Amino acid sequence: MNDSSWSIFVVLLVMLSFILVGLRQKSRESQEYGFGGRYTGRIGGGAAIASNWMSAASLMGLAGIIYLRGYLGLSYVIGWTGGYVLLLVLLASQIRRFGKFTTPEFVGERYGSPAARLMAAVIAIAISVIYCVAQFKGIGLIFAFMFDIGYEQGVTYGALAVVSYLVISGALGVPRNQQLQYMVICVAFIVPLMWLARKLGYFWLLPQFGYGRALTDLASEFRIDFTLPFAGDSLFEWCALCFTLMVGTGGLPHVLSRFYTVPNVRDARWSVVWGLFFIALIYWSAPAFAVFGRLLEARHGIPFTPDAARAAADVIALKTALMAGLPGWLVGVLAAGALSAAFFTVAGLLMTGAASISHDLFYSFINPRASETARMQVAKGGTLVLAALVLLLALNPPGLIAEITAVAFALAGNTIFPLFLLGIWWDRANRYGAIAGMVTGVLCTVASPLLGGVLPGVASYFPVTASALCGAPLVICVMIAVSLATPAPPEEMRRFLEQEVHGHLD
Amino acid sequence: MSRPEKPYKVNLFRPKAGHMRDEVHIILAILFGWGVCTFGFQFLVYACRGTGAGSLLTRLTLFNLPLHFWFTGQFLPLWFIVLCVIFNIYVDRISEYHSRKRDRSYE
Repeated sequence: MNDSSWSIFVVLLVMLSFILVGLRQKSRESQEYGFGGRYTGRIGGGAAIASNWMSAASLMGLAGIIYLRGYLGLSYVIGWTGGYVLLLVLLASQIRRFGKFTTPEFVGERYGSPAARLMAAVIAIAISVIYCVAQFKGIGLIFAFMFDIGYEQGVTYGALAVVSYLVISGALGVPRNQQLQYMVICVAFIVPLMWLARKLGYFWLLPQFGYGRALTDLASEFRIDFTLPFAGDSLFEWCALCFTLMVGTGGLPHVLSRFYTVPNVRDARWSVVWGLFFIALIYWSAPAFAVFGRLLEARHGIPFTPDAARAAADVIALKTALMAGLPGWLVGVLAAGALSAAFFTVAGLLMTGAASISHDLFYSFINPRASETARMQVAKGGTLVLAALVLLLALNPPGLIAEITAVAFALAGNTIFPLFLLGIWWDRANRYGAIAGMVTGVLCTVASPLLGGVLPGVASYFPVTASALCGAPLVICVMIAVSLATPAPPEEMRRFLEQEVHGHLD
Repeated sequence: MSRPEKPYKVNLFRPKAGHMRDEVHIILAILFGWGVCTFGFQFLVYACRGTGAGSLLTRLTLFNLPLHFWFTGQFLPLWFIVLCVIFNIYVDRISEYHSRKRDRSYE
C-alpha cells in the first residue's frame, strides 16, 4: 500500500471504530448520557471538554500559523488556553447555577426579551457557520491530500462525508464518546511527533522539549530566527489577537454549554482544570511541528517565499511527516487524528446550529404550535442548509484555518461574552442594553472589512481577526450606558440573580 | 418575625459580605495573575528591545528555547493550569467554610 491508501485505510478504521464503540455503549447503558457525552468523573469530564474543543484549528491551524508567523502564532496558543481561566473564574459555576443550557435560552431568560433571544440565536448560528468554514477547509485539505485531488473536490467530498456520517449516526442513534475521541486525537497527534523527533535525532520522549535544539540548529545552520518577538507585527497586534481569542473562548456557545454534562458545580469546575491540561498537551506540541517543518524545508533547500509558505501552512504537519519519510501508516494516523477532530467539531456545531434554527427561530417565533415532527423536520432541513452554506463559503476560504477560526472568536468575544459577563455580574443590565450591546458587537466585528477602506483608523483598531481588544470593552460600556438610561430589569430577575446565582450559601 | 431585607444589588465590584465577597476577592486575584503574566510579560519584552535586559530575555535559553519563547509557549499554559487549580482549591475551601457556617451541606 502506498502512503495515501494507508491514510484512507486508517481514517476509515477510526471512523468505523467510533460508530461501533458508540453502538456498543448505547445498548449497554442508554440511560447515562447527558448533553452530548458520557460523564465519568472529573478526568473524564476534562477529556470531554478537550475533545469538544479540539478541531482542525488546533491540530492543523496552530502549527500552520506558527510556521508562517513565528512568535505571533504563540498568541493563538495563549489565547486558546488563557480563555479557560476567564471562563472558569467568571462564568462557569454561575451559568451552571443559572440553569440555562444554550446561549439563546440564557439571553432570553436573563434579559426577558424575545428580540434579544432571536438576535443571540442568529449570532450563535453565525459563529457556528464561521467556525465550520475553518473546519471544512481542514477536511477539504486532508481529503485532497488523501485522494490526491484538487481542494474544491476535496472539500465537496468532505462535506458529503460529514453529512452522511451525521445521517448514519443519527439513524443509528450513536452517541459521541468524547473520552475515546480525545484519546484518539491525542495519540494521533503526539505519536507521529515523537517519531519525527527521533528520526531527526532530537530528544523524542518529550518532543515538546526536544524541539528546542531544532530551533537552535535552525538558527545556527540557516540563520533563520524563528522566535524573534514583534518582528513582522506590533505589540498591539499580538495582544489584540491574544485577548480576542481569550474572550472568544469565554463566549463560544458550544464551550459554554459544556458545564451541564457533569452532575455538580464542584466537578464542573475541576473538570475545567483537567480539560485545560489535556488541551495544553496538544498546544505544547503544535509548535514542534512548525519548527521541524521549517528545519526540514531548509535542509531540503526549499525556499521560504511568502506565497508558497501561506499555501503550505495549513498542511505543514502532514508535509513535515512526509518530508521526514515517516512510514505511510503513521502519516495516515496523523491525518486520521486531524480529520476526526474536524469531523466531530463540524458534526456537533451543525447539530447545535440546526437545533437552534428549529427551537429558537422556528418554534419560538414562526410557529409556536408546531408539532414535534415538524420541528424535527426543520432541524434536519436546517442541518442540510447550514452544511450547504458552509460548503459554499469553504470553496474559496478567505484565510488560514487559524485566521478564519479567529473571526468566529472575535464575534463571540464581542457579543456573547459581554452578554454573559454583565448578565451574571451586574443585575442592572437590561434588555435594551443587551440589544444595543449585540448590535455594537456585530458592528465592531465587521468594522474592518466594511469601513476599513474609508476610515483607516478603524482597520487598525478593529483588525478582523482581533477586534475584541477594543470591541469587547466598547460593547460593555455601551451596555452599561444604555442599561442605565433605560428602566431597570424586573425585580424577580434581580432577586433570582442575587439569591440563586450568587447567594446559594447565604 | 424576619425583618424585610434591604434590597441588594449584584455588582462585581461591590460584592455582598460572606461567600460572594470571598469569591470575588479570589477572582480578582486570579485575573491579576492572569493579566500580568500574559500581557505584562509581552510589554516587558517589547519595552526591553535593544537593551541589555532585552537581549537577556531573548538570548538566555531554557530547555534550548529562548527565554521569552519558553515563557510564552510553554510556561504560560502551565501557569493557567496552576491558576485554575489555586482558584478551585480556594473556592472549595470557602464553600465548605460558608456552608458549615450556615449549617448547610455543599453539594
